[in-house]
Amino acid sequence: MDEIDEIYEAVLDGDMRATPEYVQAALDAGVSASAILLEGMIAAMNEVGRLFEEDEYFVPEMLIAARAMKAGLSILRPFLVDAGIEPVGKVVLGTVQGDMHDIGKNLVGMMLEGAGFEIVDLGTDVAPAQFVEAVRNGVDILGLSALLTTTLSSMESTIKAIEEAGLRGAVKLMVGGAPVTDGYARKIGADGYAPDASQAATLAISLIA
Amino acid sequence: MEMTSKQRLLTALKGGVPDRLPVTTHHLQDYFRNTYMDGKTDIEVFDHLGMDAIHWTEPYRPDPSQGEYFDPLQEAPTNPSFSKRIVSDDWCITHEALPDSRYKTIRYTITTPKGNLTTVLQSNEYTTWVTEHLIKEKKDIDIVGEYVTAPKCNVEQVNQEAEAFGERGLVRGTICGFDISGQPGTWQDAAVLVGIEKLILATFDDPDWVHELLGILNGRKEVYIRSLKGAQYDVLELGGGDASTTVISPKLFRKFVAPYDARLIELVHEAGQRIAYHTCGGMMPILEDIAAMEPDAMETFTPPEMGGDARLAEAKQRIGDKVCMIGGFDQYHHFVNSSEEDTRAAVRRRFAEAGEGGGYILSPSDHFFDADANLLAAFADEARQCRYQ
Repeated sequence: MDEIDEIYEAVLDGDMRATPEYVQAALDAGVSASAILLEGMIAAMNEVGRLFEEDEYFVPEMLIAARAMKAGLSILRPFLVDAGIEPVGKVVLGTVQGDMHDIGKNLVGMMLEGAGFEIVDLGTDVAPAQFVEAVRNGVDILGLSALLTTTLSSMESTIKAIEEAGLRGAVKLMVGGAPVTDGYARKIGADGYAPDASQAATLAISLIA
Repeated sequence: MEMTSKQRLLTALKGGVPDRLPVTTHHLQDYFRNTYMDGKTDIEVFDHLGMDAIHWTEPYRPDPSQGEYFDPLQEAPTNPSFSKRIVSDDWCITHEALPDSRYKTIRYTITTPKGNLTTVLQSNEYTTWVTEHLIKEKKDIDIVGEYVTAPKCNVEQVNQEAEAFGERGLVRGTICGFDISGQPGTWQDAAVLVGIEKLILATFDDPDWVHELLGILNGRKEVYIRSLKGAQYDVLELGGGDASTTVISPKLFRKFVAPYDARLIELVHEAGQRIAYHTCGGMMPILEDIAAMEPDAMETFTPPEMGGDARLAEAKQRIGDKVCMIGGFDQYHHFVNSSEEDTRAAVRRRFAEAGEGGGYILSPSDHFFDADANLLAAFADEARQCRYQ
């Protein structure tokens, strides 16, 4: 098994101790930071997403894989900067106003990070004005999450606030969460909807393509 | 012959065929009753809408021989079905309001001889949530294990309420949750105390610690269950959405949920009671695992349109001969922004999918807050027309 394969397997297994060790070993062996990221970590997270969609992986496996990737990235990041490797895009995420649920949003963040995006997580109970401010500061995609039926209206009011600020054309909007449907996403003017974290990563890539 | 609501619900609960499709709901929320039902009581709402009624009650009693007493510092529960907490000199609970411009925010402090535990809850007009979990460090569970009190059921009060409720419907309770913000299922209780993401990671990093915590919580629930003997409950709730496959894997369910909750169900049956196992979220990958714990009923069969994964007809085929099924109705799309015809058609579909042979109770898949009273009435009326005879 070569260095890249070891990293791939360690991320897939959610091994947060082995992953950074293998990343360091690969760097020491002269493997490029770009190859470690793309062929090792991102490829592994893509496989995590596929296994999730096949009902072979569930949220826990996704969580530990993302944690392992994060541990590996902590070693790799300076080398990526040195090599001039940029994130594929910048995503701002948040759970909408009135909603405190965060595990779904966190998973989306992890999977998007695993797909090569830079993530800015605004947290939970985020007011429309905070989202507007984040868009004003420059972002490719805004991801809105809601778990409660009672807070879906906050999703709509956030999109309205972005329109009223004249920023709708500056950002792609994706939405998700238990009660959100594709039909609802279209109704409120989002650019896309993903039913789970894995498909959110696929959607984000398509939105910036 | 027309059955009473109690006969109808009980017949379905036992897997039998009632006169017609039983129709009820999970807890009625204060927000809904006050906003859409002119503040009617639960039973008034059930009567107004023509549903088979549920009376929730959970009265505790302290055991003075163990130094237990009702918490003198607790504010009166807003819902009369919730009991006052049981405390002791070694498990004292105080609370203080924290300044917050948006939400009612309360910090609770549990004082014990070996240190304090704190948790912070916030609430709005809909619900309450935890912003600071009680168990922050691994050693905190030692304090819980040594000093936590275990409530006992006030059987006499349950029976008085059951007698008064009579044939109007089912008397339901829950297996006791942890103090302040607990939940009935052992894993669910732990998730509230630790935080679900942290708890999931702990199952990989320190499974022995997770088992120790679950064991402590289980022990407390066992004491409560042993005190249920003679209580005229019709069914008690166990479980919780954090044990669903929307949140955890079948592997974790088998390792950290089923062994503990199956033990509780066994004890519940020994105490002459029934269990409805509540799994709001993904159920399909663990349907047989839940049924293997031998609950009397399973709920909530949340459909994909509401973030669950329930395929009701398939579920009926897989486990319908083993347990009563409760739920499966999409309240978000059929209690609001729907037409009466669409809501009625959805009721018919649920009856066609899960009604055959009985053992099915139509209910929204868990709570709802906003609902059009006309759609609710249509929901109940259509169910009343789904007859077996």
